Amino acid sequence: MERNEILSQVLEMVAMSYKKDVSELSESTSFKTDLSGASVQMVALVSEIENELDVALMLSDASACNTIGDLVTLIEEEM
Amino acid sequence: MSVIDQIFEKAKQNPQKVAFPEALNEKMMEAAYQAGENGYIYPVLIGNPEEIGKTIQERGYNADVFTIVDIKEETYKHSLIERYIALPETRLKEKALNRRMADALQYAMVMQAVGDVDVTFAGIDYTTGDVLLAGQMIIGLKPGIATISSIGLCDIPGFNGSEGSLLAVGDSAVCTNPNAEQLASIAISACDTVKSLLDWQPRCAMVSYSTLGSGQGELIDKVTEAVKIANELRPDLDIDGEFQLDAAISPAVAAKKVKRESAVAGKANVIIWPDLNVGNVAVKLIQQFGKADAYGPMLQGFNKVICDCSRGAPVSELVGNIVISAVRAAGSK
Repeated sequence: MERNEILSQVLEMVAMSYKKDVSELSESTSFKTDLSGASVQMVALVSEIENELDVALMLSDASACNTIGDLVTLIEEEM
Repeated sequence: MSVIDQIFEKAKQNPQKVAFPEALNEKMMEAAYQAGENGYIYPVLIGNPEEIGKTIQERGYNADVFTIVDIKEETYKHSLIERYIALPETRLKEKALNRRMADALQYAMVMQAVGDVDVTFAGIDYTTGDVLLAGQMIIGLKPGIATISSIGLCDIPGFNGSEGSLLAVGDSAVCTNPNAEQLASIAISACDTVKSLLDWQPRCAMVSYSTLGSGQGELIDKVTEAVKIANELRPDLDIDGEFQLDAAISPAVAAKKVKRESAVAGKANVIIWPDLNVGNVAVKLIQQFGKADAYGPMLQGFNKVICDCSRGAPVSELVGNIVISAVRAAGSK
């Protein structure tokens, strides 16, 4: 799967998990400063990635990602 | 009869099914056996049945006390998956769940989510992080609850509060620096925990260095905001503050400092700390100077009762925590 394809799917999933509009999100959106979500949202996101992209991420690895772009890179590495 | 003896008696009257995903661990198996043999719980061991059976025999236990679940047996596993994905608000789909259920801890939690067991008890081979993460992913948080947290039950010699020598306090172990919303969740969960475990009518004080505006500052603002959120979310519960600790538990101090009606001031049986710095120091003070026994931490906020025990705990403490978890599960049904 191409990076752009993964990115667009991840943006949709982030929008859903963090209850944001997908148009507000990009590769450089920061989980900490822009989304300020609790771990509950990250759990939802990791579950969704596992369901839809069939990639099992460690929650600790996903939580260590600064931006949505970092998360996409992590998914690429795991694929 | 001490509070812990009362809890043991209560467990016997309505034994619950407790899943042990670390079945082969020597301490865990012994604790499960003692709790099962004495009629406090029905222990369910999860893993490889041949290995478990052999170990039970080697250790000289009566195998009839245990139910053993074969983690590799496909028919039951599929029935679990089918029932799990049919539940509302579950996160994982079939393929992801199937993969995760190769792990005994997550298998146990799926059994719990569908109601085949009442408690998941782990924490010796699995880390606290493993237990909390699996719990969030598979069991999930209660509706409206923003964080996992914990409370402890202190039995303080010489303290004569509204529940005698007992006082529930939280969170002294899990949620480091809660925001107002999370602090409200801790208070709400704590009320539900003491109700299910001890049948108390909870009177929950959110404490600070100020009583109802006697001081000012952002540390206090967080606590007052949390009280407001908690009252909006759960108007059925008596949650009040901000109070100083003495105004929360001493009727004489409350009479002086709290100039409005309060169902909590002076007679709180649950104390919620503003953050983990306070919580940890406070529990150490109660233990060191008050010579109190502290039971817990009891995890709360999950949809069902999960217990993460302490790795260094002796078997007697494990049995106590197993029984406490079982009584909580029975009380929250």
